[in-house]
Amino acid sequence: MSHKPVFAVVGHPNKGKSSVVATLSQNDAIVIALEPGTTRQHQAYPLSVDGQILYTLVDTPGFQRPRRVLAWLEAHSLSASDRAETVAAFVRQHSGDPRYHDECELLTPVLEGAGIIYVVDGSVPYSPENEAEMTILRWTGQPSLALVNSIGADDHGDTWQAALSQFFQVVKRFNAVTASFQQHLSLLKTFGQLEPDWERPLEQAINHLSNQRHQRRRQAAELTAQAVEDMLLRREKQTLIVADASTASRESLAGQLRQRWHDHQRQREEALRLAIERLYQHNHIHRQGALLTWQNDHDLFSERSRRAFGVSRSYLTTAGFGAGAAGGIGLDALTLGHSLGAGALIGGLVGAAGSYFYGDRLSFSALRLGPLQQGMQTASFGPVQDSQFGYVVLGRAVDHWWRISHRNHAGQDLLQLENTDSHWLTRLDRTSRRDLQRAFEQCRKKGSLDRAMRQRLSLAVEASFQAYDDWQLNPT
Amino acid sequence: MVRHRSRVCSQLCMKFNSSISRAFGLAAWPRIGLHFRYELRFGKTMAKPPMTLLLDFDDQVRLDRDQPAAFLHRRDRRFALDCDSNHERPTVPRWLEYLDRVNRPAPGASQVRDQDPRLGLWRRVTSGFALAGAVLGILAMPGLLFYDGSQQINVTVILAFILLQLLMALATGLQSIAGWQPWRPVLHGVLERIRPSPAGPAQSVLRELHPQLMARAAHVGGLMFGLTGLLTLLVLVVVQDLAFGWSTTLDTGPVAFHRLIDAIATPWQNLWPAAVPSLDLVAQSRFFRLEDAGTSGAAAHWGAWWRFVAMSWLCYVILPRMLFLTLTQGHLRLRIRRLLANHPGLAALRYRMATPALETGNQEAADQEKPNLETHLNVHPVPDSATVIKWAGATDSLALTRASSALALCAGGTASLRADGQTLEHIRQHLNDVVHVVLILVRAWEPPTGELVDFLEDARETWPTDTQIALVPLASLPATVPDGHHLAQWLRFVERHPDLRLMVSRPEPGPTRAMPVSLSGYHAKASARP
Repeated sequence: MSHKPVFAVVGHPNKGKSSVVATLSQNDAIVIALEPGTTRQHQAYPLSVDGQILYTLVDTPGFQRPRRVLAWLEAHSLSASDRAETVAAFVRQHSGDPRYHDECELLTPVLEGAGIIYVVDGSVPYSPENEAEMTILRWTGQPSLALVNSIGADDHGDTWQAALSQFFQVVKRFNAVTASFQQHLSLLKTFGQLEPDWERPLEQAINHLSNQRHQRRRQAAELTAQAVEDMLLRREKQTLIVADASTASRESLAGQLRQRWHDHQRQREEALRLAIERLYQHNHIHRQGALLTWQNDHDLFSERSRRAFGVSRSYLTTAGFGAGAAGGIGLDALTLGHSLGAGALIGGLVGAAGSYFYGDRLSFSALRLGPLQQGMQTASFGPVQDSQFGYVVLGRAVDHWWRISHRNHAGQDLLQLENTDSHWLTRLDRTSRRDLQRAFEQCRKKGSLDRAMRQRLSLAVEASFQAYDDWQLNPT
Repeated sequence: MVRHRSRVCSQLCMKFNSSISRAFGLAAWPRIGLHFRYELRFGKTMAKPPMTLLLDFDDQVRLDRDQPAAFLHRRDRRFALDCDSNHERPTVPRWLEYLDRVNRPAPGASQVRDQDPRLGLWRRVTSGFALAGAVLGILAMPGLLFYDGSQQINVTVILAFILLQLLMALATGLQSIAGWQPWRPVLHGVLERIRPSPAGPAQSVLRELHPQLMARAAHVGGLMFGLTGLLTLLVLVVVQDLAFGWSTTLDTGPVAFHRLIDAIATPWQNLWPAAVPSLDLVAQSRFFRLEDAGTSGAAAHWGAWWRFVAMSWLCYVILPRMLFLTLTQGHLRLRIRRLLANHPGLAALRYRMATPALETGNQEAADQEKPNLETHLNVHPVPDSATVIKWAGATDSLALTRASSALALCAGGTASLRADGQTLEHIRQHLNDVVHVVLILVRAWEPPTGELVDFLEDARETWPTDTQIALVPLASLPATVPDGHHLAQWLRFVERHPDLRLMVSRPEPGPTRAMPVSLSGYHAKASARP
């Protein structure tokens, strides 16, 4: 048996084999469709460290003619001891037969030593019709594990678990779409327990995956901090020549500058999102049509965005001193006093985007017209003078990060967010709040961030990720 | 054996990681995290000046910002592994050299430039200060030594000027060390006008070095001022008869003034005694005593002050500037090393080099397209039939076999292949007497497999050729209709297996409404998907 474990993910057609492989290999390019026969060739997905493979997942086609295969096997077997050889003989004999193409494809890696991961759909009722498949797999004599994956809404997992335990060493429930990262690791650990030699490489893989997860969060924080800084410092400038220096032209110029500034900010936010998606290896999120509805329906400069992620004036005044955790100011200051809570808004209770753009309000402080000199006048828009904008940008970025980092690579549906009336900043520690506020203030006043402040902002954003995660997963 | 190999691999990996850790000063790799200590080592040879190295590194980090993290990890881990195999330390200069080498447009093209163009502005600023200092030195010294014979050159004024120069040098030095830049807005305005940086001045690491660069330029200017001033003094001493004296309105006697002069001349007292004015000379060269002591013999000695003036200029203008220039240069190098050592990009680079690159197999199958889920077929009402096959465990939850004469048989699933054959034969006999329509009830959620294809092919061979076969997908819950996407997979199945007398029927919920069978048009195109 090879010291590098291989796991063949097998089962009936269209029971979520590919979605399990997609989630475990973090590959959202694997075709996942409710269509039998999507997978026609077995495909290996190795997990490697510095080019050294630790384990390999093999996606396989589903069984098409299990009863005929079993009948052939039974007809050619004399005793239990020759079963594995008989299966190998079947594959050798039928390797060129199109009728048994799928069976040969799925049995080949198993006969080469792969562990068996048998996937069933726990959302449909158990039926004994799958027993022919399970019998064939048992004949191979390879270590095996059954996964009860749930594709639909119904739950028949208990029945499946009871039935599968008759055929498999281990039966686990694993929803490839909604499973948490810890559940991924737990499943890999179970893989390692199928065979003593497999335990160590799987443990190494788990360690590396955990480190990667940790590092990704840090890199995401750096990307986000950089984007927030860029957006807060953005300035659009244009010089007006003497011929156009009439009042009407100046107003027109101001409008153009503001529009350019808004467009740039939206593009920068989109660039950040793409970078975060690439970081978490969600490269086909748009192709899948699984757009993040809330983020797309609500513009960066909409009043809804401000309400969801903005903070109150009193918070802006006091956060720079680390207030917020001190009694009295706390939560009321954060929640803006709106009867409509941020969480309810995020949860989608309010559908349409706000028509009032609070970005217009930003114009009053951000637009500057220079003096008319030698027939030339310079107009500039930005950096934005309202610290509120920083919280809106940050809140939207953190929200997007949360959705992406919790999204499985088999997932094609939107993540549902829990409703809550509290502001996510309530979960952020005082030091991080202070650092955020100071960084925003420094951008506003000095027009730049020094190196130390930039590092503190990055750390504060990382802490914000943790706070947002806590706010989402443990709503009060 | 396998375990042993695995252990050896693991030990090799740990050995490599520890060598990376040593190279980057990491105490122990497993404890690497956000706060590990790091000691930067540049290696034995440094091809690039430290400033260029820092700027190159900063530029590279900014270039890398647009690259995916996985790519950067692979690239830098590869570099670290190559270094390890060559028994070299993965240092920053080597890393930059490695990237230069692999990114070089043409092999052999030299990347080493004599002068870093990014520092061109600062070279011009320094040259400008040097030129201005030299010119001012040439102009200032004749001004100080202006002598038309009517009045002596006042040594007190010269000493005050030297003191001013000393204070200016001291202020520039302290300002550089403290990082105080009152001139910053002016400088940044000028820099933006001259050469707007695409990254913006706030983004450039060079900005962090502005205090030291500015101080260096100022000290170079001051040094050139001192040197040309001294040269001018020497020229004037040769070509003119200079008469020095001293004067003050303070109640100070020659003795006190001589003590001051003596203290000022301390540094060169032993080296050049002739450059230390005597008490007599001091007493003779005081202005208001001139008339009293105004003899031509005394006047002949007034020129002897020049040695003192020259040495004072050398010791308190030139040497302090040289000292501060050296200190600033050292401070600049120290700041460069610190900036590089504390560069955020270096922490990320260290991590990428020391951490094994993890590939989860996400590169595979990246170009696959989604399968075509379109279908042009339509579902039909369930035809009236008294012959029903329950395929693979499907149950007649909608009571389609309500007629008392109906024949309902099971096939597929747990039934044996022989039993399937018997079912086909049984139905063939049954079809002789009734209309040739057979319903096959299937579980809508179970995808059609090859076994059903085989069964249908066998049925075609066994049954009369005009037999209509209707696949009736049933939902998992009784008295409900199947979901659209479940029906669609059965339509696509029929589409993939062209058979004019095979169709998909959808039962209506509640009392079943069977329709008379139409013998044509089962494959009629539908304008809308079901």
